[in-house]
This record gives sequence, structure tokens and C-alpha cells, in this order.
Amino acid sequence: MNLGKLVWRNLLRRRGRFIFTLAGVSVGMAAFVALMTIGQGLTTEIKKQAQGLGANLVVTPKGWCAYEQISVLTGEQLPEAIPMSDLEKIRAVPGVKSAVPYLNEKTAFRNQPVPVIGVWPEEMRALQKWGIESGRYFNSPDERGIVVGSAIAKQFKLKPSDEFTVRGKLLPIIGVLREAGSKDDIATFIPLTLAQQIYDVQDKVSFIAVQVSDLEKIEATSLKIQEVANVAVVTDKQLLSSVLSIVGSVGAAMQAVAAVGVLAAAFGIVNTLLTAVHERRREIGILQALGSTRRTLFLAFMLESGLYGLLGGILGVTIGILAAYLFGSYLTDNAFTASLHQSQTVAIDYGTILLTMGFSVCLALLAGLYPAYRATKLSPVEAMRHV
Amino acid sequence: MSNAVIELEKVSKTYGSGAAEVKAVSEVSMTVERGGWVAIMGPSGHGKSTLLQLIGGLDRPSAGRIVLDGSELGTLDAAELAAVRGKKIGFVFQFFNLMPHLTALENVEIALWLGGATHSNGRAMELLERFGLGDKAHHLPSMLSGGQQQRVAIARALANEPDILLMDEPTGNLDSGSEAELLTLLGELNKAGKTLLMVTHNIAVAQRAERVLQVKDGRIVADTRKGKH
Ligand SMILES: Nc1ncnc2c1ncn2[C@@H]1O[C@H](COP(=O)(O)OP(=O)(O)OP(=O)(O)O)[C@@H](O)[C@H]1O
Ligand SMILES: [Mg+2]
Repeated sequence: MNLGKLVWRNLLRRRGRFIFTLAGVSVGMAAFVALMTIGQGLTTEIKKQAQGLGANLVVTPKGWCAYEQISVLTGEQLPEAIPMSDLEKIRAVPGVKSAVPYLNEKTAFRNQPVPVIGVWPEEMRALQKWGIESGRYFNSPDERGIVVGSAIAKQFKLKPSDEFTVRGKLLPIIGVLREAGSKDDIATFIPLTLAQQIYDVQDKVSFIAVQVSDLEKIEATSLKIQEVANVAVVTDKQLLSSVLSIVGSVGAAMQAVAAVGVLAAAFGIVNTLLTAVHERRREIGILQALGSTRRTLFLAFMLESGLYGLLGGILGVTIGILAAYLFGSYLTDNAFTASLHQSQTVAIDYGTILLTMGFSVCLALLAGLYPAYRATKLSPVEAMRHV
Repeated sequence: MSNAVIELEKVSKTYGSGAAEVKAVSEVSMTVERGGWVAIMGPSGHGKSTLLQLIGGLDRPSAGRIVLDGSELGTLDAAELAAVRGKKIGFVFQFFNLMPHLTALENVEIALWLGGATHSNGRAMELLERFGLGDKAHHLPSMLSGGQQQRVAIARALANEPDILLMDEPTGNLDSGSEAELLTLLGELNKAGKTLLMVTHNIAVAQRAERVLQVKDGRIVADTRKGKH
């Protein structure tokens, strides 16, 4: 007989209570893991999209909110508000290496929403370094045809020379882009002039991606652009941080919910152990009569509590990761992430697992402090009174 | 009395305060010699169990001095007192003797562990066999008869070879057969040098001891020795 064995026997003697308390800890920790995992995956993914933009500056209409800035990264539909004349002025600003326009629209294809993006074919290809999976790329800046992303091609089983409808207009599919692992995979592209014509937005674009020739002078270039045109300019870093802050605040809200669950689980442990101390008060008296010190009693209850944390942590991590895989896509399926590959929003790393385990055990030990203290305060005589 | 193993000097124990104050033990002075066998008798609620608990270091007296085998309990801290309970004393209680979720064997093993026994392999089983419980070693207390439970409790009390055995109604719920068996056993232990102190309501049982103390209202009112060989 030793402390470990005694504690283990005590832990398992009320099966029902053990299981329900453990379930509480597991669920609390599972929620914690799931949200950490999903949140991290989301952050990583957004950073990747921002890199994929390939621009140093993004020129947007004045007064855009962060929600619209996010759509720049995700390829969502955007209002068209910058006149082409501004684009020409911006291209003429010294320090601007290239400025390419985007017209972000949307169409329904076989009852599914599909992003349609109007671009300058040559400039866009240079910026994005697209590869061609099958078929070919645009031959001229205003060719009547459409190039589709690889995921779209797969989803609708499309190949070159098939037809695609954009707002009721039939367009031949010219080519399919090679998989890029970004939002481009789930978008379709047509020449800007064609897009403006189909969507009836003559001479307007949604936003402009700018590359500067000298990163050192990015601030000055940004100011110059705002002088020549009535637009707002953000750097790619600002864009990223404002998007991340929104994701972060959503994440913080979700984590607060998880924290409530975890806290409830901790109170569950306190409750279970206090009940156990009360139930076992006679045994505690017997143990003391047999020579147990208060320290041993304290350790026994702390160990019991710690085991709830350890077992709950292990179960919670397992359940949490499974849940992140199963439900991660639903949880994050919103305007920020609609275009991200679903599996990419889940990121499992050992840091999270260790953090969760440590957190679980520490919290359980904290929860065990009071019951363990109460056990040591029992007098051996008191504990053995027969009423 | 240089050979005293238990010495009490004006020991009192008061429970509660004010109107609810109960003087369970009042100014008891007595000594028990090494190897003695003492029975304590008296009406219910007159402080017998309390006296035993004070002697065993389970509780501290409100006043007075208790010296156990040379060490004064009042000067020991909680951990030292726990060590005295674990090594010097074996307890058999009036109620709730065994840990209900541990087997007979584990009940003995736990005493060995808490008493600090280092090489206890097989000792717990040996003890149980000595008390005729070898085949019940893996039974839970709830599966044992009252007499068997009491024997397990005694085996456990002896686990760390204590000098002093304190027993509160050890024969309280035994039939006459088991009672006789237990008394024979106690006789053997006493012969082997253990000091026995037992509370009992049963005159026949008390008669087996070499000395009987009568307790009333928390005081010793009679001390009868009988010439025993
Ligand atoms: N923890 C306590 N708090 C208050 N009163 C107590 C406490 N323990 C004992 N008493 C009181 O002290 C007195 C002596 O109790 P004790 O248990 O020593 O009696 P006893 O002689 O062993 O009785 P019995 O033969 O019924 O076991 C009783 O009046 C009892 O109610
Ligand atoms: Mg009593």
C-alpha cells in the first residue's frame, strides 16, 4: 500500500461521481483545445492569404470598414467605387512600380455562389505568378472567356472549352489555374473590361493592389497616392493586423466561453472533493490514528484532484482535437473564412497540447487546495464520532 | 514507578463552552506499568472513550500531562504525535474500525505504510493468517462478520509492533465464541509483553485483565487489582 494506490482506490470508489466530474473537466478542456486549435489555424491561414495578395499597398475607397478590408483577403464581393481615372493617376505616381485593379463580383453557378473577379490579365499573372493546369491563359486584355481556379474546376467538374455563365452570359472556359493553396483556387477570373461590361459598372473598380519600387519610401508613396486621388491607402501590414484583430476579438469571445466551461469544471472538482472529504471523515480519522500526518492527507487529496486534471486533460485534448476537425469548418464558416480551405483552419501543435495539459493539471490542483485543506483540519476524534 | 509506560497527571478534557460545556474527563491521574493489562469500565457517556483517545494522542487534553513511554505528548508537534500513533500505539475502535473500500489485507497494509514499515512484504498476510483470516484477505469489510472485522482491526493494530494496544469495546459486537477466542488472543499478546488498555461493559471480559478501573463522571472512582499470575 502506498499513497498512489490509496488515492487511486479513492478516486474510483464512486464510479458515477468520478465519471461525471471527469466528464465536466474533459468537456471544459475540450472546448479550450478546440478553440485554441481553430483560432490558431485561422490566424495562420489569414497570414498566408495576405502574402498571396502580393502587394505592398492596398488602395480602397474612403470609409471602408475592417469587414470590407477582410474581403480583400478573402475574395468576397465588394462594392465598386474607385474610378478608372484614379487608377491612371495612381499609376503615374513616382515610386509606384505597379498598380493592378480588382473588381470583385459574384455570380451563381448551378445555384452555388462563385466569386468572379475582373482583372488585367497580364499584370495579374505577373503579380500572382499563376501556373496553368490545363488549357491556356488569356491571350489579350479583353478576351471573351474565363479562367477558373483549381478548386472551382474540381467542384463543378469543369475543363477548358466547357461553358461558364456569369450573370446569365455564357463564357467559354479558357483554362484552369494550377492549385495555389489560396483564395484564388475558389475564384474565377475574367478580364476587367468584360467584368465592367457584364456587371454594368463602367469605369469603376473595387480596389487596387499596389507594389512600390522602394519599400523604404512606402509611407511617402502612400501619402502621394492620397494626394492625387480621393482614396484610402493601407499597407499590407495594416490590413493584416486589422483583420487579425477582428479574428482575435472573435477568438477572445470564444475563449471567454471556453473559460466559463473550464471554470465550471474546476468548481465541479471542488464540489466532488468536498463531498468526498465529508463522506470519508471517519476514514480520515482512522488514517490519522494509524499514523498519517496532515501532510499525507493533504497530498492524498491534492493527488486525487491532480488526477482529475490529468485524466480530464488527456480526454479533453483528444475530444477537442476531434471536435476541431469535425466542427472547425462550421465554427469558422463565416465571411472571414468562407473562402479558406476548411481543413486548413485547424492547426494542431504540441505546444497547444502541452499547454492544455499543464493548464488542466494546475487548475485541478488549485481546485483541490480547499478540500485538501479541509481534510487536514479534521480532528481524528471528531472524524470518528459515531453520529 | 519507573516501569510506567503510560502516565496521566491531572488530565481533563472539556468539550464545548458555556451552557453546552461537558467535562468528559476531569483531573484523572493514573499510571499503567509496562506489560500491564487494564480494563476500564463505567456507565455510558462517562468519558471512557475520551480517556482512551487522550492517551492515544488522538486528541489533546484541556489540562494536565500525559507521558507515553517517556515522551510527553504535550510537547510534541502534530507530525511527531502522528508518528507516536503510527509506531507506538495500536488502536482498536468502538465503531467504524476498517476502511470500507479496502480489503482486509489492504487495511493491514495501510497501517504498515503509515507506520513507516520499510520491509513489509508478506507481513500483512502473515498477521491475517495468525488471526485465522488468511482466506478472507481479499474480502471487503462489508463481506466479513463483526468478529472477523474485529480481528482484522486487531491485526492492523499490531502491524507496526506497537508496545501499547488501546481498545474501545473490542468484544462489543462479538458472540460468546468469538469473544472467548479474542480474549485468548489478548492473553497471548499480553504474555508477549504488550501493554493492553481496553474499555468494556462486560464484567466477564474485564475480569480477564489484571486491573479494573471504574470511571464515573470523568473520574476514576475505583482501581481494583487482582492477583494474577
Ligand atoms: N466531540 C465531542 N463534543 C462534545 N461532547 C463530546 C464529544 N465527545 C464526547 N463528548 C461527550 O463527552 C462525554 C463522554 O463521552 P465518551 O464518548 O468518552 O463516553 P463513553 O464513556 O465512551 O461512552 P460509551 O460507553 O457510550 O461509549 C459524553 O457526555 C459525550 O457526549
Ligand atoms: Mg465510548
